[in-house]
Amino acid sequence: MSAEKLAAELQGILIKRIQSDQLVVPTISAVVQKAQEVLHEGDQSTLKRAPEVLERDAFLAARALRVALGSKGGTGQNKITLGETVNKLGPRGVKTLLIEATAQKIFVSRDGEIANALRRIWEHSVAVAVLARDVLALSGHADSDAAYLAGLLHDIGKPVVASILLEAERQTTELYNRPWIPCSEWLDVISRTHRAVGQALSEKWQLPELIASCLKANVDYDNADRASPLNAVVFANALSKKTGLYAGTVDMEDIEAIIMIGRSLIGVNDEILKTLTKGLSDRVNGLFD
Amino acid sequence: MPTILTVDDSRAVRTIVSKQVKDLGFEVEEAEDGVQGLAKLGECQFDLVILDVTMPNMDGPAMLAKMRESGNTTPVIMLTSESKRSIIAGAMKSGITDYILKPFKPEELRNKILSVLQGGGSPEDVVSSDQPGGAPAAGVAQKGASQAPGAKQFVDVMVVDDMENVHKRLRGMLPSHLTMHGLTSAQSALASAREKVYRVILIDTEIPDVNSTVLAQQIKVLQPHAAFVALALRTSSAEQTKELKDQGFTDVMYKPFTQDHVDDFLVLYFDNQEFLTNEDNLLKVAPFVGKPERLERYFSRLAQLFPAVLNKVAAACYEEVIVDLGSVPTQGDRLPKLLVSVAGGAKEIGMNLSVVGPGEIHKMLASFEETRAIKCFGTVQEARAAGM
Repeated sequence: MSAEKLAAELQGILIKRIQSDQLVVPTISAVVQKAQEVLHEGDQSTLKRAPEVLERDAFLAARALRVALGSKGGTGQNKITLGETVNKLGPRGVKTLLIEATAQKIFVSRDGEIANALRRIWEHSVAVAVLARDVLALSGHADSDAAYLAGLLHDIGKPVVASILLEAERQTTELYNRPWIPCSEWLDVISRTHRAVGQALSEKWQLPELIASCLKANVDYDNADRASPLNAVVFANALSKKTGLYAGTVDMEDIEAIIMIGRSLIGVNDEILKTLTKGLSDRVNGLFD
Repeated sequence: MPTILTVDDSRAVRTIVSKQVKDLGFEVEEAEDGVQGLAKLGECQFDLVILDVTMPNMDGPAMLAKMRESGNTTPVIMLTSESKRSIIAGAMKSGITDYILKPFKPEELRNKILSVLQGGGSPEDVVSSDQPGGAPAAGVAQKGASQAPGAKQFVDVMVVDDMENVHKRLRGMLPSHLTMHGLTSAQSALASAREKVYRVILIDTEIPDVNSTVLAQQIKVLQPHAAFVALALRTSSAEQTKELKDQGFTDVMYKPFTQDHVDDFLVLYFDNQEFLTNEDNLLKVAPFVGKPERLERYFSRLAQLFPAVLNKVAAACYEEVIVDLGSVPTQGDRLPKLLVSVAGGAKEIGMNLSVVGPGEIHKMLASFEETRAIKCFGTVQEARAAGM
């Protein structure tokens, strides 16, 4: 089956699951481990330390946001932060979420390249979140925590598509004993489908407008609000790709242009730019070791 | 003297740019579209072109393309209200050195002009990457864009705590010569960290909606030389101090803190610098401030600090060391005991001790057998003259 056909088929399945509220996305073992550690500390610590788990898993953070926002969704909640999300969930909500997360460990691909690409997807989300938060904080702007959550969720469709691809891999290799697609094709399928899946999820779960804006393809900066979380996410996404924290192919000329525009738009001087990216890989990798 | 060409159809923009360029001490020429711009470039040599995108007759990208086609490699800064990535990516292909989005701050224009004229590389070179194909980290941070540390105000202590009473209480317990800034939010703390240089930064670990560890990391970026102390309420965790240190804090001060805790904090971060200072072979003892019951602690701290400072003086090959006691308290036998130990320590490393202080100190030293031999003077000048 071609990547195009596989992508279309998986996209259809995922959108149906989203619409019928039957979407289940397991999480990677590093996040499961962290969730278990936090749960082990008891109820008092769970609420306080829950952001440590949510800040490293886009899908889990999105689920928390959905539950926290309730039936009203993200209406009037454009710039929500992880801390606010956790507070809205309350101790019981947080505990339930983390328990569910620990029960759903993701299948590990037998293809080392795919396993690595999956980790890169998680790392990229966190890198964009960290950079978006820090670029606003270091440039002297507000809303840095809202930018973190928006950055974390900017590619929310990717872990969703990756999880169904892994599910398909497990069935193909374990049940039918057939070979699985190569990593390049795996990434191609994700690239073709993740925007539509992310947008469907955002609509169904009524995620805040800021997050919905970040999910659009080729988002341009908003000149009217120079230090907005959206601009921070656009800048951070390009910077993360430039530093190599990304799974997939990148258009380096486009990336360079986004960084150049963003620096003037947000007010990022050389010192801040250097600081933002220094040791970024280590900081992000450390969360998943 | 460098000459800069500004090409923009807006007279207002050309006037602002020209003023900025002249203020920097450079010469400037103006053109109102690409056609005029190319004509100016044909007439004389420029060191930099500041170019708008949208202009009548010939726009910026077209002028830039013609410049490059004709072999003109003058650096170009694009100054425009255009932020479409496709247009800027196209301009980058034609070799723009930098980009400024209108409306712009004068300092951004100044910094970027200076950066280009001082021969800086592409601004994107500043991005650090450990990935193949990523740009190397360049030392551009030293250039005009960053504020010279010398221009910043030094402050001893920053306290970030949402409870203002914590600021008041700590201020009341710190000696008056130490400067302290109290801040109640993460944003104000970051703003202050950008403007000033701090020696020690105390951060409350329970500020609502603030992750103190992340805040400490962010401030650390702006204050790489400061010590970071967590201000925490004790929890039941036996590992609390270790956990906070693992999160990047140098130390922990538990709330509610007492004068004893603050004194310990001062010993760790300030006393070594302020309590006993030396300039060449002259050692100055800071005056005692505080309650009488803390006198014992004051003398024991001095006793701890003297050996290292004496060694420092000896290392500079002085044979004479002068200790200016100023207004050190003379009650009891603490001072004579201290001086006996200091004189002994100085002798061991080949130096003679002289002390400077008021008459009261002279009398007190004369009244003890062990200190009678220590040379005592009324002023530093007298002590220096006697040692020559």
